[in-house]
Amino acid sequence: MAALIEMRNVTKEYRGVPAIKNVSFVLERGEIHALLGENGAGKSTLTKIMAGVTTPTSGEMLVDGKPAQYQKPAEALRDGINMVFQENSLVPSMTVAQNLYLGDEKFFNRLRGLYIAAQQFLQSLNFNVDPWATVATLGAASKQMVEIARAVRHNARVIIFDEPTASLTPEEKHHFFSLMQRLKERGVSIVFISHALEEALEVSDRITILRDGEHVITDATANFDRDKIIRAMVGRNLSEQLYHRHEGGGARRPGKRVLSVQNLSMGKLVRNNSFSIYAGQITGIFGLIGSGRTETAKIITGVAKRDFFHGGEVRLFGRSIRYRVPRQAVMDGICYVTEDRKIEGFFETMSIAQNLQLNELSSGQSKGFIVRMSDMYSLAEEWTKRLNIRAINANARVIELSGGNQQKVVIAKSLAQKPRVIIFDEPTRGVDVGAIAEIHQLINRLADEGLAVVVISSYLPEILNISDRILVSQRGRIVEEFTPDQATEEKIMYAAVH
Amino acid sequence: MIALVKRAFDAWRGSGPSAVTVPPMDGALRPNQAIEEAPVLLEIAAPDNLVHDGTRLLFSSGSTVYAMKATGTESVAAFDRPVSALALHPGGAMAIGLEGRGLELRGGQHDGKVITELGGRPVLCPTALLFTDENTLLVALGSQQNAPERWKHDLMQRNASGSVWQVDLTNGKATCFADRLAYPYGLLAAGDGGVVVSESWRNQLIRIHPNRKPKVELSDISGYPARLAPTADGAGSWLAVFAPRSQLLEFVLHEPDYCDQMIQEIDPQFWIAPSLSATQSFLEPMQLGGLKQLGILKPWAPTRSYGLVVNLDGAFEPQVSFHSRADGRRHGITSCVEVSGRLLATSKGGNAIVSIPLAAGV
Repeated sequence: MAALIEMRNVTKEYRGVPAIKNVSFVLERGEIHALLGENGAGKSTLTKIMAGVTTPTSGEMLVDGKPAQYQKPAEALRDGINMVFQENSLVPSMTVAQNLYLGDEKFFNRLRGLYIAAQQFLQSLNFNVDPWATVATLGAASKQMVEIARAVRHNARVIIFDEPTASLTPEEKHHFFSLMQRLKERGVSIVFISHALEEALEVSDRITILRDGEHVITDATANFDRDKIIRAMVGRNLSEQLYHRHEGGGARRPGKRVLSVQNLSMGKLVRNNSFSIYAGQITGIFGLIGSGRTETAKIITGVAKRDFFHGGEVRLFGRSIRYRVPRQAVMDGICYVTEDRKIEGFFETMSIAQNLQLNELSSGQSKGFIVRMSDMYSLAEEWTKRLNIRAINANARVIELSGGNQQKVVIAKSLAQKPRVIIFDEPTRGVDVGAIAEIHQLINRLADEGLAVVVISSYLPEILNISDRILVSQRGRIVEEFTPDQATEEKIMYAAVH
Repeated sequence: MIALVKRAFDAWRGSGPSAVTVPPMDGALRPNQAIEEAPVLLEIAAPDNLVHDGTRLLFSSGSTVYAMKATGTESVAAFDRPVSALALHPGGAMAIGLEGRGLELRGGQHDGKVITELGGRPVLCPTALLFTDENTLLVALGSQQNAPERWKHDLMQRNASGSVWQVDLTNGKATCFADRLAYPYGLLAAGDGGVVVSESWRNQLIRIHPNRKPKVELSDISGYPARLAPTADGAGSWLAVFAPRSQLLEFVLHEPDYCDQMIQEIDPQFWIAPSLSATQSFLEPMQLGGLKQLGILKPWAPTRSYGLVVNLDGAFEPQVSFHSRADGRRHGITSCVEVSGRLLATSKGGNAIVSIPLAAGV
């Protein structure tokens, strides 16, 4: 029997630059196929060709043994090929149920029936999402669930998941993986793109690895281990660099107390939250989604507002601070590297140089009213060199960069503001292993230079290995503190859940 | 004018200086039970003023000064007033602060000298003494209104009438180093000729120098600081903290009318105020958030007593801390000294002197 999808020597070029080169790929019926590679390796391009989002420059694709050349996603959808995108494609102003049935509406819709059907369908998938809720009000994890549910509802034969678990909690991931198994048992084939290698090793049947747009290896998952995958992905052994402790070995001693958060409150999201941040240390904050970590960081940096009455105190070097806008925080040396880089991190259609220059302007360091182009490019050149941002030049638009390099641009924007306190929110989410190692080295370097560094992460190995002290957030407040030598994944997770 | 409006606005919405907040005990102040689990060296009523001059190790209990020796304790001096401060000089001199009375010197060149006034003010509340040399004594006076036994009154009255004096013992000349301090409780010689003072009611350590402005070395301490002592290597210091801060206590301190009425009508042991030990009386109020149900004090009742000693580095940043937590007994740590790789601390509220083993590097 012919393979469900077979791609032969497929090449895709953008402006003459190949995103993938002569890649061959086979997806069998009822298999979970993990597609791995660094950012920019060509995973998304390959799957976009499968789903009809883009067309190949050369090469051939066979579906059920017959040639197929999709011009638009609807054509792929008709063949049962469905893609769940990393950036969600839901209509924010519509309800969950309306999004689920979008495009399948009848001439006369019975709304009550629609909602009941949506509720039953979501329950059958074990997704705890309210079908009446407007999508704009949902968190990232819930939006992801709706995306997945929509793909499943289309009776897909192939579902392509691009980083599906990036915003899910451990419990939701567990549900998601069992859903994938159920889909597989129904004969659905799944292409699964993830940067979490353990997930690929856990759930997939076969693994294909791409590097620099070229096919490296395809083999049964049983024949892989973590090191072998990393070697194939980056062409070098990174396990030593990845999630390693810094040069000194043990945890750094705390320096001066830079930031003291005292009884901070914001509605039900942040409740009487207190903790301190010290110079020359990396403070890791772990918590499940909704535990108030990001909201706390946003209050500190003036992005969000604490309760008007008795909202608590934030002290920077002993001085009470309360910012109306983030610029005031930046001027005081507090920077926040957002978890949602695509929405909040940069202007994607502007160049690296323009993005960096904008941030420098907002930090109040810029002199005069006129921006000198030479200054702007020298600033961009300096930071692309320092953070090893891989781009054609400083004029490259940020949207054209890979996830890891986009994240480096976001970090460079903050560092250009010369912070004394820097808060990284999920700094390596959606970033490939090579870039993770580089970002971790950078974070360690910042702490060694004496900056007060905060790393908010939902990924336990990251928190365990990079932090000099670990705070656990639960229901809007810090509930536990660990030193790295005392902390284990079980202890941290127990504190985060109970 | 703007400051006035801002103050009124802050008071209205509970922010800035009117915020009822407490700094967290985390980082180097992360709670443990090191004091609670430490061996008890001696059980004695309300020990205080632990001092060490390299050979002698003395402390006070009530109105008696004791020496601690390998064979046990020995009474060194007894007075008719409680001893509230003590200092030793390696030359043999001992300075004693007596509650409501003044200062006395025993041994050394100035044996028998009595000081009852400093700069024309009566020595009512000596809280800490320190010899800078055999002829110079630094004196911390906690308050001009209250004797040391009435420290809770002083806090609830929100007084800041403390002062630090340098006394030339040869001629009796007293120089005021700093005034209007909020209950100075500990003194530590600073290398530059100045002195670091723990200011209890402002929860801070300040460096004072005869020729310079006071400088805050450590602010926003999570409790009420008591005495300071140098580490054995001289590179850092130890700070005893005799009671914790809590939002409840801060809230009460923001309500002067409530405090005044409490002073007038309620027995001090039942005040919502810091305490050296946890009272277990059923007369204890519910402490707003606290609750006693079926005879069991709910664990979330805000504690008013605690045991804490903090190790500070040369820049007065906390490095390590030892605790006796809310459910412990060794509360009200008022003084400590480092001797032979151990930290001895007086638990005034727990009626014991504990000996905490120090790990290497502390």
